[in-house]
Amino acid sequence: MTAPGTPGSAALVRLVAAREVSTRIRDKTFLISSAVILLLVLGAMVFQVVLAHSASKLTVGYVGDPALGAALQAQGKAVGADVTVVRLADEAAARRSLGAGDVDGALLDDAGGSPQLLVERSAGSSLTATVQGAVSSLAVSRQLAQAGITSLHVPKVGLTTLEPDADRTGERAGVAIIGIVVLYTLLILMGQFVAQGVVEEKSTRVVELLLATMRPWQLLAGKIIGLGLLGLAQIVAISVVGVAGALAFGVVSLPGQLIGTVLTVVAWFVLGYAFYASVFAAAASLVSRQEDLASVITPTTILLVVGFFIAIRSAGNPTGTLATVTSFVPGLSPLVMPVRMAAGGAPWWQVGLAVLIMLVGVALVVRLAGRIYAGALLRTSGRTKIREALRAERV
Amino acid sequence: MLEFDGLHKSFGDNHVLDGVGFTVAPGTMFGFCGSNGAGKTTTMRIAMGLVRADAGTVRWRGRPFDHESRRRIGYMPEERGLYPKMKVGEQVTYFARLHGLDAAAAARASEEWTTRLGLGERRGDAVEKLSLGNQQRVQLAAALVSRPEVLILDEPFSGLDPVGVDSLAEGLAEQVRQGVPVVFSSHQLDLVERLCDAVGILARGRMVATGTVEELRRQEADRRLRVVVPDAPAGWAAAVLGVRVVSEQAGDTLLELADGTDDQAVLAAALRTGRVTHFAWRQPTLVELFREVVASPGTPSEAAA
Repeated sequence: MTAPGTPGSAALVRLVAAREVSTRIRDKTFLISSAVILLLVLGAMVFQVVLAHSASKLTVGYVGDPALGAALQAQGKAVGADVTVVRLADEAAARRSLGAGDVDGALLDDAGGSPQLLVERSAGSSLTATVQGAVSSLAVSRQLAQAGITSLHVPKVGLTTLEPDADRTGERAGVAIIGIVVLYTLLILMGQFVAQGVVEEKSTRVVELLLATMRPWQLLAGKIIGLGLLGLAQIVAISVVGVAGALAFGVVSLPGQLIGTVLTVVAWFVLGYAFYASVFAAAASLVSRQEDLASVITPTTILLVVGFFIAIRSAGNPTGTLATVTSFVPGLSPLVMPVRMAAGGAPWWQVGLAVLIMLVGVALVVRLAGRIYAGALLRTSGRTKIREALRAERV
Repeated sequence: MLEFDGLHKSFGDNHVLDGVGFTVAPGTMFGFCGSNGAGKTTTMRIAMGLVRADAGTVRWRGRPFDHESRRRIGYMPEERGLYPKMKVGEQVTYFARLHGLDAAAAARASEEWTTRLGLGERRGDAVEKLSLGNQQRVQLAAALVSRPEVLILDEPFSGLDPVGVDSLAEGLAEQVRQGVPVVFSSHQLDLVERLCDAVGILARGRMVATGTVEELRRQEADRRLRVVVPDAPAGWAAAVLGVRVVSEQAGDTLLELADGTDDQAVLAAALRTGRVTHFAWRQPTLVELFREVVASPGTPSEAAA
């Protein structure tokens, strides 16, 4: 048998982290929540696709002169609708096609002077505009031809956009909101995992066996790093699926911006996780039973919820005072700043400053949380006060 | 030698340990007894570095335990310390790795110990699905898997049925045969009496008695001689010099002998009355010794260990 050596800090932290990952990766809560988040992201995308699809796609049937078909096609292009034109034999065929849902409307041209548009229930504005436009342009050109005029000069209207990025900004804010929802969900989930893990070790006294082989900070670091890697893998997987899906479905017009926003969200997740995981771990170390866990982690959860709502509000008003101020507050910044960045309302120096403040916050929180954790870990009677934990002897 | 030397510990105004000290030789089993709250768990937690002593040290081979040498202690905490949802085999492997075994050696050791402790079939089950007795064995496997030089076990037998007690006792005896000093605390004094080479009794934070069970018995002041002489007339023993009759009932006599009284003279007197069906020093059980020392504070009796 190999003589046991003395594992170094890195080895111990790695062992703890590996155990966390291998335990959680088989955990039902983790698997189900991963699937749900992925489904939500995909669902949001499919929703977008369906919305975009139904808004602009029209199938128009007609009975009569083929010139009418060409006019419908041209008019559809003019009003910005994606029109498919189908020629139908007679009115009976038109009614059948309508009934089967093959066409959105059917135009009956009796060559007389009173064309009829048949629809199932009601005609949408783009359908009537297309049909009316096609009929009138055809009639005008026929009458002009009869009058001997074959060519006519129609001035084309030029287009000047005052806010060229408005659409893209909206799109980026949309992506940011989805990103924030994922980020928030993962922070809560991973924070809960950290907290539950800490209490589990305390309540089962495994911690006494663990501390015979390692220091509290090694245990804490292994736990946070392990679950953090898991969370990072999860958010990266969701991002990849989301971006790939968005590109495949053609939901976004600017893939570069989408990827930029997603990377921002992932980076802020890392900072936010380091912050919240430490706070959750320290809070959880104060109690010895899972039943008492809710009472100590609720304040932190509320902070996350507040950050989440501010972030959602900021998506609508990314340049407002609330968004600007909270995007610098450590703990809130991981949720608010990505939205401001996505909306393009955050200068780089502000982002840099927010990251810096957050890093300082993380450093302080990790130190403080480490002390509380080490002080409270072996106090297995009831609930430990933060002050007691900080004062407690560390062994 | 595993030495607990002059341990003092107070939690606030509560003096839990007041100079606890005892020595366990390699290859011996030391039973650590005491009433609830006497300080047994605190003593063991100090050895494990889970509580810091106000004064005193715990030494192994002459050197105080530090963070490094504590890795060589196999420890069982009072309330069991296992991950409930982790599989038995993985769990034991994990603890082996924490003690410094590499992945392959840890897996081998885990397999070996789970098999030896009769858990081979349950290796793939989550710990929480096992019976209490089997969980206890997993706990022992976790303590033994790193081949510890010292075993410190807090109430290892609590909650076990007699079969579980026997198999755990056999496991510990084997460690003792290999030269490992074993310290365990227990309320089951009959068990301590049966298993242990030496016993320490803790009361109100002090060691009130240490030594082998035999030594404790010998120094016990009021030893009594039980003589059963069915045919003897009442009062047969009162005539023997230096004998006080404690009780007498139909020939079943309990005697207390003054210092220097020859018990053979008592036997001769008994034989003169006729048949002697029983003649023996009544051995006080550990339970009686325990009651005795725990009940009388202020007179700690130290036997040479």
